Amino acid sequence: MSLDAPTKRKLADLAGVLGRWLLGGLFIYMGLNKALHPVDFLKLVRQYELVAHPYLLNSIAAALPWFEVFCGLLLVAGVAVRGAALMLALMLVPFSLVVLDRALGIAATQGIPFCSVKFDCGCGTGEVLICRKLVENTLLLLLALWLLCGVGTRFALRFRLQNPRGGPNRGAP
Amino acid sequence: MKAVLIEGLLVALVGAGLSLAANYLSPRGLKLSRNYFPPPPAVSNAPPTSLAPGGGLTTNLPALSNALALRLQARGLSLLDSNQVIHLFHDPAYQQEQVIFIDARDDPAYQAGHIPGAYQLDYYRPEPYLPAVLQAAQFARQIVIYCNGGDCEDSEFAATLLAPAVPPGTLGVYGGGFTEWVTNGLPVEIGGRKSGVFKNAPSPSTAPR
Repeated sequence: MSLDAPTKRKLADLAGVLGRWLLGGLFIYMGLNKALHPVDFLKLVRQYELVAHPYLLNSIAAALPWFEVFCGLLLVAGVAVRGAALMLALMLVPFSLVVLDRALGIAATQGIPFCSVKFDCGCGTGEVLICRKLVENTLLLLLALWLLCGVGTRFALRFRLQNPRGGPNRGAP
Repeated sequence: MKAVLIEGLLVALVGAGLSLAANYLSPRGLKLSRNYFPPPPAVSNAPPTSLAPGGGLTTNLPALSNALALRLQARGLSLLDSNQVIHLFHDPAYQQEQVIFIDARDDPAYQAGHIPGAYQLDYYRPEPYLPAVLQAAQFARQIVIYCNGGDCEDSEFAATLLAPAVPPGTLGVYGGGFTEWVTNGLPVEIGGRKSGVFKNAPSPSTAPR
């Protein structure tokens, strides 16, 4: 039995809704874990040695967790979905790269296989095996990119900020 | 595409503003202007020779302890090993508060267990603890500051915070920290300071005299 085109679109959109909720829920969870323990997160961010200036370091550690929660809430509620997905995608790429870089350093220093490297990357889920984390981040990035295509319009409060009534994905519940 | 970029920019701007506001309003929020990790002054590569009253640690240190000793020396602080700390714990001056211990970990860690009689000073949120600590520190001839040990730097930073307010030469950092204390089977007090509740009941040989 083959599905007609409208049914396929409907199923894809429903899958998009689930993806939106999954991605949003994960970022709310990971963001809150960090936001509720900002000092721990500050120490972890410092270990990456990305910025030296205290004000910049503190700002990153203070704002990033809440920003993740904010984007997660937007996705779950279905507000500015593509803008939120774009932000998450733009965060996931550098996050994954710095985590990869740090893991390569740990593997070289300790002389252990890359996939045996386990550390708290500051991702909000405690200590993780690096290979698992990179796969997880890649999947989340793909999910964010998929949402950028405009799927998951059902059960959305305001899928698009601009012209919410126009276009095929107007976000009606 | 343009609409998505504009939407993303709006999310970024509104999100950044709300995130900083959330941090400001949160009781656990960070102070953006504070330097939480003051860098140590430049140090020489010579190994330390005399680190603390009572001596003990010289050139046979593991690399981590040696690096810590050098950093502390550059800050005008001394590194204490477990023998020195146990000696100070049993010193009668500890009961007279001429020797005091300061726990530089956060509140949950302190409440879960600390060296008996230790004052609490969460380095990252010091305000509620500073009055009691400073009052006690003024009369102390030796102050022992510790955190978890290992690569924990909180005791070092807390000592740096206290250094201008206490008599010179009184501050010592217990490098092994609370982890080493527990590993050595020494008594641990639970809850608030002088709660009288111990995890390992102090025996006559381990209790502070």
